[in-house]
Parts: sequence; C-alpha cells; structure tokens
Amino acid sequence: MSEIILEVKALTKHFDVSNGLFRKKGKVRAVEQVSFDVYQSETLGIVGESGSGKSTLGRLILRLLSPTAGSVVYKGMDILKQSSQEFRAIRSELQMVFQDPYASLNPRIKIGDAISEPMLANKKVANVKEARAKTLELLELVGLRTEMFQRFPHEFSGGQRQRISIARALALEPKILVCDEAVSALDVSVQAQILNLFNQLKRQLDLTYIFISHDLAVVKYISDRILVMYLGEVMEIAPTEQLFAKTYHPYTEALISSIPEPSTKGKKQRIILQGDIPSALNPPSGCKFNTRCFKKMEICNTIHPEILELEPGHFVRCHLYSKGGVDLG
Amino acid sequence: MGNYIIRRILKGLLTIFVSATIAFFIIRLMPADPVTLLIDPKMGPEVKQEMMHQFGLDKSIGEQYVIFIQQGLTGNLGISFKTREPVMDVLMQKLPWTLLLLSIVVTLMLAIGIPIGMLAAKKRNSWFDKFISVFIVMGISIFIPFLSFALLYIFSYRLGLLPSGGAYTPPPGHGIAYIINVGKHAILPALTLFVGNVATIILYTRNSMNEVLKEDYIRTAFSKGWNEKYVVRTHALKNAMIPTITVSGLIIGSMVGGAVMTETVYGWPGVGRLIFDSVSALDFPVLQGAFIILAVAVVTVNIVTDLVVAWLDPRIKLGG
Amino acid sequence: MSKLLEFKNFSMGFKEDDGTIFNLLYNVSFSIEEGQALGIVGESGCGKSMTSLSVMGLLPRTAVIQGGRILYKGEDLVSKSAKQKEDIRGKDIAMIFQEPMTSLNPVLTISFQIGEVLRRHRPGLTVREIRQAVIKQLDLVGIPSPEKRLNEYPHQFSGGMRQRVMIAMATICHPALLIADEPTTALDVTIQSQVLDLIARMEATGSLMLITHNLGVVAEVCDQVVVMYAGTVVERGGMADIFDHPSHPYTKGLMAAIPTLRSGKGELYTIPGTVPLSINFLKGCRFADRCAFCLEGCQDKVPPLKQLAPNHFVQCWLDFEGRE
Repeated sequence: MSEIILEVKALTKHFDVSNGLFRKKGKVRAVEQVSFDVYQSETLGIVGESGSGKSTLGRLILRLLSPTAGSVVYKGMDILKQSSQEFRAIRSELQMVFQDPYASLNPRIKIGDAISEPMLANKKVANVKEARAKTLELLELVGLRTEMFQRFPHEFSGGQRQRISIARALALEPKILVCDEAVSALDVSVQAQILNLFNQLKRQLDLTYIFISHDLAVVKYISDRILVMYLGEVMEIAPTEQLFAKTYHPYTEALISSIPEPSTKGKKQRIILQGDIPSALNPPSGCKFNTRCFKKMEICNTIHPEILELEPGHFVRCHLYSKGGVDLG
Repeated sequence: MGNYIIRRILKGLLTIFVSATIAFFIIRLMPADPVTLLIDPKMGPEVKQEMMHQFGLDKSIGEQYVIFIQQGLTGNLGISFKTREPVMDVLMQKLPWTLLLLSIVVTLMLAIGIPIGMLAAKKRNSWFDKFISVFIVMGISIFIPFLSFALLYIFSYRLGLLPSGGAYTPPPGHGIAYIINVGKHAILPALTLFVGNVATIILYTRNSMNEVLKEDYIRTAFSKGWNEKYVVRTHALKNAMIPTITVSGLIIGSMVGGAVMTETVYGWPGVGRLIFDSVSALDFPVLQGAFIILAVAVVTVNIVTDLVVAWLDPRIKLGG
Repeated sequence: MSKLLEFKNFSMGFKEDDGTIFNLLYNVSFSIEEGQALGIVGESGCGKSMTSLSVMGLLPRTAVIQGGRILYKGEDLVSKSAKQKEDIRGKDIAMIFQEPMTSLNPVLTISFQIGEVLRRHRPGLTVREIRQAVIKQLDLVGIPSPEKRLNEYPHQFSGGMRQRVMIAMATICHPALLIADEPTTALDVTIQSQVLDLIARMEATGSLMLITHNLGVVAEVCDQVVVMYAGTVVERGGMADIFDHPSHPYTKGLMAAIPTLRSGKGELYTIPGTVPLSINFLKGCRFADRCAFCLEGCQDKVPPLKQLAPNHFVQCWLDFEGRE
C-alpha cells in the first residue's frame, strides 16, 4: 500500500441559517466529524445523495470553505490552519474540477487565456510565451485541437468544456484533483470519454483523485476505494471490490440495490427505502439513518454509532456491528 | 402571517424615522439663511431675538433636532416660514388634491395597462406586440414638461376644449357642477401622468407574463387538458401579477410628492406644487414636512404592496 | 392485443425566425400495445422529448409537423381539433415531466392542482367527491397523512414527494397511456427507486411510454425499447432483442459506454465525436460520421428499415447475417 498523502480528521462544517431579522438561527450540519485518509496515486470515490455533504466536503478539503472544526493534513501540516501566505504556496497542488461545464468557465475569456491565467498568477511560468506553450501542451493532453485556444467557451460542447476545465485544473501541476460531479452533466457517450481521460491522465501524471459523485456505477468504475456518506457522516469506507462483495452498512446495500442494471438477467429484488432523506437542519437522533433503515434495532434511535474498522481498510458506522466487530448482518 | 405583518410594520417605522432625520439635515444644508427670510430689516434687535427664539433658530442644531423629533411625534411639523400657518395644516390642504389626481391615474393605468400587457404577451412577436414595444419606450422616456406643454397647447390654447390650469375655475360651485369643474381641470394632468405610468405597467405585465408562460408548470396545466384562456387566468395570472403589483406600489408611493413637474405646469394645488413653491420661497419647515409625508406615503404603500404579494405568493410568508 | 398508440413515419422540425425549417424527427415509427411499457432511450438532442410532446400535442410554437401520423386507438391525433386534443389530455393520455421542482404551480395548493384534472374531465363530481378522490389518490401514491397536506403548497414538499404529486395528478383519471419524460433524473438514487416502483405499479393496467437516457431504468421497467439518435429511430424491439442482441452500431456503442455494476476496470468503449445539432444533420444516416462501421454512401442515403426478428427492427446499411 502506498503512503498517505492527505489526512482528514474530524472535519466538521455547520452552516448558520437565519430567517429574517428577528428569527432564531438554525444550523445545517452539512459535514459532521468526517475522518479518512487518502493514499498516493489512488482514486477515492465519495458517494452520497443530496444532503450527504459530499460537495461541501470537497470544498472544505480544498479550503474553499472554512471549517467549523477538524483538520486536513497535507505534507505534514494542517492546511486549514495555515496563514493565507503559507497556504498559497501549496494551493496549486490541490485543484478542483466542477460539475457544470456551462457555468464554470467565464464566457468572456478565451479558453487559452483561462488555462494560462492560473499559471501566470501563480508564477509557475516565467512569461506569457512559456504559458502559451504549456497551454497548448495541456490542450493536446486532454484531447483538444491546439488551434482551439483562441475560442470562447460557448463554441464548445459540454464534453469539450469539461476537457477545458480539466486542462485548467492541471495547469498548476496539482498532486491531488478533487472532481465534484465532474461527469454528471454529460451525455452517456461523452461521459465515457471523460472517464477514460481521467484514468489516462492519472497514469501519465501520477495524480491522486478524490472523485465525488451520486452515481455509484460511475464511482465503482473509476475508484480504488469508496467512501459512502449520508447526512454529513461517513457510513462506510472500503476498497471498491470489497464494498460490493461484502456490503456491511444497510444504506450502502440500499444504494447498490437501487442502481438499475441495463440487462435482462432477471429483475433483482430491490431494496426500496421508506420515506424521504431527512433535513440536515433537523437530523434524526441516534444513528442518522435510523428513520429509513430496514435493519433497525432499538438502540439505533438513541445512541449514535461510532465508526469501526471491521476488516483491514473496511470501516463501518453501524450498531449491527458495534459489539466488538461481530457480524450480525 | 401575523408575525410577518408586525415585522414589516416595524421596519416601516424605522424607515420613516431615518427619512425624517435625513430630511431634517438635508434641509439645513441648503445654501440659504432662514434668518434673513424671517427678519424684516426694519425690525429692532429685540424683536429679531424674539423671532429667532420663537422659531427655535437660536439653539444648536442638535437641540433643534431633538425638538424636531419630539414635536414630530405629536404631529407638530412646525410653522411655515412663509404663511406662518402650521405645516401640518398646509399639508392637509394640499394632500387631498394630490390623492385625487393619484387615484384617477392609478385606476386608469391599471385598468388599461394590465389588459394591454396581457394581450401583448399573448400575441407575442405580432405586429401588435411590436407596436406596443415602441409605445412603451416612448411612454417611459417622454419628458413630462414637454408632454404637459404639448397637451396644454393643443387642448387648451388651440382647441380651447380644456382649461389651462388650476384645480377648478372659480367660483368652485357645489355638487355636480363642482365635480364637473374639477373633473375638466383634472383631465390633462391625469393624462400627462398616465402616459408614462401606463407604459411602465404594460412593460412589466407583458414581460412578466411572457416569463411565466415559459415556466414548466404552465406546460403541466396544458397537459391536463385545459385551454389557453383557462391556463392564463388560473395558472399564469397570479404569478405574473407579482412584479406588476410591486412596481405599482412604487409608482403610487412616489406620485404623492413626486408629481412636481406635472402639478407645477398645470398649477394643480397638490403636494408636488407645494414642494416647488417652497423651494423658491425657501420655506424649510414646509419642505421638511412634505418630505416626511412622502416618506410615510411610500412606506405605507410598500407595506400594503408587500402584504398583497405575500398573500399571492405563499412561499414568502411561509419562508419557502 | 391491439395497438394503443402508433407512430407512422412521423416527422417534425422547427421554424427559425427567417422562415427556414430545420428537421428534427424524421420518419419516426413505432407502436405501443395495450398494457405494454415502452422505453424510448437516447441522448440529448435525439428528439425523445419532442416525440412525447407530439403525442400530447404540446409542441412549442415554433414546431412544424412535416409529415406522418400519430394514431391513438386508430385515430390520427395530429389532425384532431384543439378541443378534441384538450379532451384527450389528462384523461386518456397523461404526462409526467422531468423537473418536479418546477412542474407544479407555486401559488396553488396541491389539492387544487390535482382536483383540477377531475374538474376538467369529470364535471359531474361535487366538491366533496373531488376532495375524497384527491385524498385517495395521494394515499395511493404514498404521501403520508394526505388529509393534512391538502392545503399545502408545492414548496412544502420534497422533490420525491412532488414527483408523487405529479403521478397522482396524471393517474387520477386512469389514462390508457401514461407518458413519463425522465421522471427520475432529477431525483436522488434511493428516491428514484421509490418513484420508478410507483410508476410501474400505477401503470400496471395501462400502457407506459417511459423516456430516459438511462438504459438501466429501461431494463427495470419496460417490455419494449426504442433507441433514438438525432431524431431517428435507429433500432427497436423487445427487451431481449435490444439488450442481448444489440445490432445498430449506436446501440452497441451506448451499451458498451455505460459503466455498470458489472463492468470491469478496462477502458470504456467510447463513441467518438458528439451528438450533432439539428442544423448539422447529415442527409443520409445521421450517425454515419461517428460510426465505426460506416460504409461508403451511408452519409448520403437514408438507411432502410431491416427486420431481424419478429419484433426487432434496425435502420442501417450494414448487413446483419443472422444474429450474433
């Protein structure tokens, strides 16, 4: 197993919500005590539905949001506690690719400039000429014709714009790339192209990915390990194969079961969860999943389960297993 | 909902208070010395002293402000420098005339503007719609004094059909005769104000309706088997009216003291004309009072508008 | 079984401001039997939404019908009067849309919006009867405590709940055909299963036309499949035909490009290029410029319809000798 490149410890983010001038404030517990490690050169998939906090988590890791508590340790230092100056030095190593290829590129900036801009701003290149040369290299790397660097975003299709976003994210030679729903807005055939591109770039540039998505099939395809989130908490972490071969958490079971399979090999018995995803403003007490869990026990209503390592590398937060790792599932 | 109303009113009161304060200080920034207006050069120094004291001008500005607020809370807005009448009385004489003009204009602009706006939305991109677009631009940008002079010239001077100024031709008369008298005088000023405002209403209604008709829920309504008339009336109207109502509120509020040019050109004895005259006469208390009345009017109308919109749109009061 | 709905060589396009017409749907033909569930699958720009709107007669103003017929119970829908179409909508043919967040009117209560369908198509009912029917329908679609929620507004419901309200609205008159346009795309995955399950249950007795880009969803719910590309039907057939013997290069490419729970880690097959815009449609086979098997002449001549099995049709120039 390669070494750990990023450590997330008890990361927490609460958003204050107020309703007008004289109302009481509520708290949205978007991310609650999330801890996990990221290994060099792996792709860690983070999967969850709305309200799971996965996008917020991605932004916290990159310090695009300030945390309520917790730390993110990179190269031995907590990047959330560094001064802006200290952080600026390593900011270029942690980059993000966003979901909406239509909104994340400034429509008034030529794509070549959009890619060169971060290079020049961070002094990764000496002058405009060098920036231009590197930009053309990047365009080729992501599979776009180099003559396109003078064009504007609206002249490209969704898939091409996503390639441009990737090129821009790579402009600063990052070590870690956070992809937040990076293929969700794309057509199926284009999605496949971009997923292949991600894998190819990872090999070529020795990148580490944190791949956030609601689509478990896509996450399974691209990830080495998967982290399952629900209402801001980590519910299960496991290497991909193992997550599917031996699923511990009921929520993960339900997620896997709800993915429609494009085949005629018999319709499987699907686990259909009851009820809606609870609001993050008012999460259930005890285990947050208890209101919809089909394997619920008495204790789940009141006691909040801790996360346990049931097998090497396989973590679960569930009372079914909290009696010293005994598998009751 | 009750909570919402209370909070809204409290905010309104705060706005009035701030506006009154600003009015107080702005007036005193004007480059003219009230003392010289009051004081007849032939008066002796003791009389001068007495007058200054009477008008509170011998105190510091901070003290004057406090007195101003204290008096204001009891409805005393001071004394007019020009006529020596209480400002409140002066305002109460002029206000009804402005309100009369306002009511006529608002009724007409809504009764005519909204249907035309809706028709233009229905007949999108037709010649009718294009004609309306031109009319809107002209209506909004026309220079009011130009329009008033043009109307006066045509209808009063040339054709001699309508009177040239004032609210009525003396003697005022009683009963029906009085109404007709005032009515004839109101036509031109109302028309002047109507043109620009109806253009705004048509603009908002048409654009809002066009936006609403593109919404998904309109498509859903059609998919249930309803025809266009029903869908517009039941599904689109309520949603589309919200911006129109909001802007009507703004128009009404500002017309209370804002029809200065129109009222002046036509000699209509309302608050706008009062403001104009007071500026020339440097009658500070009256100006102050007029601004405060204007603030009260705008705030009140806005509160009413907000409540109407909250009633129309359930997402607002329920915090959706 | 008789054909409930039949598209016969239906073509339509859009008219630009200057009068030129760009074709979108070209010669679309397929049918749905009574009690059948048909999936129309394709990517963006393939015309699947326009197909469903054509059935409902809800095409946008700029749409122009260029030919063909849409038969409902043997009668051509296209040539019906506006009033006749309005009578059918909501009662015989009903539709649910993709975006539950915006498909309901925010200023009207949900009981009003559901009851409306009854007011329109069953004018004899009293207010009381309508209210009872609405409560029963809300219960059927799984909304808890329906009597309490009657006077609530859409924004007080979650996305999944709103979609259930839409389903309640669409099925209250027991339509013979329910059209669902991407009904679960905007929903979370666990909610998606709930809603799909509900749709399958509600349409157990009628016919369903399900439009989606997700082949997995089609496999879960449908009996028949129509694969569309750039406004044309490239392949159609039963579930086994399409999933076990995909024949058109596009269908094969689509199947291979989707990561499923069963795919390995190898590189995904990709269809090169992107979906064309309607102004760029080719004269012949519209998939020709992306097709790995493109032959000379594919681009210029419209491919013929070939029958590979009793219920399996492909529109392609390739030779299909037997089945793979």
